[in-house]
Amino acid sequence: MALRRRFVAPIEAVRGGWRINLDDEERNLLLRLITELQALLTGPDDNELIRRLFPVAYPDDEEKEVEYQRLMREELVASRLAAIESVTRTVDPANAKDLLDEGETIAFMQSINAIRLVLGSMLGITDDESADAADDTDSPEHHLYDFLSWLLEWTVRSLSPT
Amino acid sequence: MPTTLQPTEVMEPDLDDQSVVDRPWVVLVWNDPVNLMSYVTYVFQKLFGYSLEKATELMLDVHEKGRAVVASCGREEAEMHVFRLHEHSLWATMEHDGPSS
Repeated sequence: MALRRRFVAPIEAVRGGWRINLDDEERNLLLRLITELQALLTGPDDNELIRRLFPVAYPDDEEKEVEYQRLMREELVASRLAAIESVTRTVDPANAKDLLDEGETIAFMQSINAIRLVLGSMLGITDDESADAADDTDSPEHHLYDFLSWLLEWTVRSLSPT
Repeated sequence: MPTTLQPTEVMEPDLDDQSVVDRPWVVLVWNDPVNLMSYVTYVFQKLFGYSLEKATELMLDVHEKGRAVVASCGREEAEMHVFRLHEHSLWATMEHDGPSS
């Protein structure tokens, strides 16, 4: 990663689209994570790690909630998998696209955020207190979480209207 | 079905039910410790067309008060908003506006 970090944003809006400035190592890391996310989403519905990706819509109405999930859960899985598929295409160093369009950049943002949420669940970040505690913890997973936060922050910035 | 007319019970509109139908739904976004403030602000701008100022104000409400109403509308539209917020992994729910009867 080294010093160029200080000078180049990991993702930036340029003429004609968005450019990802990540090296192969970082791209391969993202590919691994995105593949793991894909496996979680196509695995059992009741996995605790992905619960946060499927929030309750009607907390006060069980009947409506069941109906909502019956109709929408599958669609939400499909939407997440479509985003993952897009990211897999755009991040892979073997056939990385030069420029991403807006839809691909949004898919990138959504998927990075989804991985952060899963990782947050793994790290036990459930409230502001545990989030603060996580900030002070030094482990590979926490560094990974920070890396994704940093990447997400820049992605949001590159997408935000100026 | 009987062919002769029989006295039937007339369904009086239930005023309470009617008010339930007319009451709009509100879409709420709840605080969570993972989503970044800048990300939440961006999603509010993108999904609802809010200005940066309005989106930031709502994001701060979520962060500081624990939740914010981001839209008030009919049920179908509210469900669509909730779905799109869930696509962005925000913790969104919906409920009837005001006290339930």
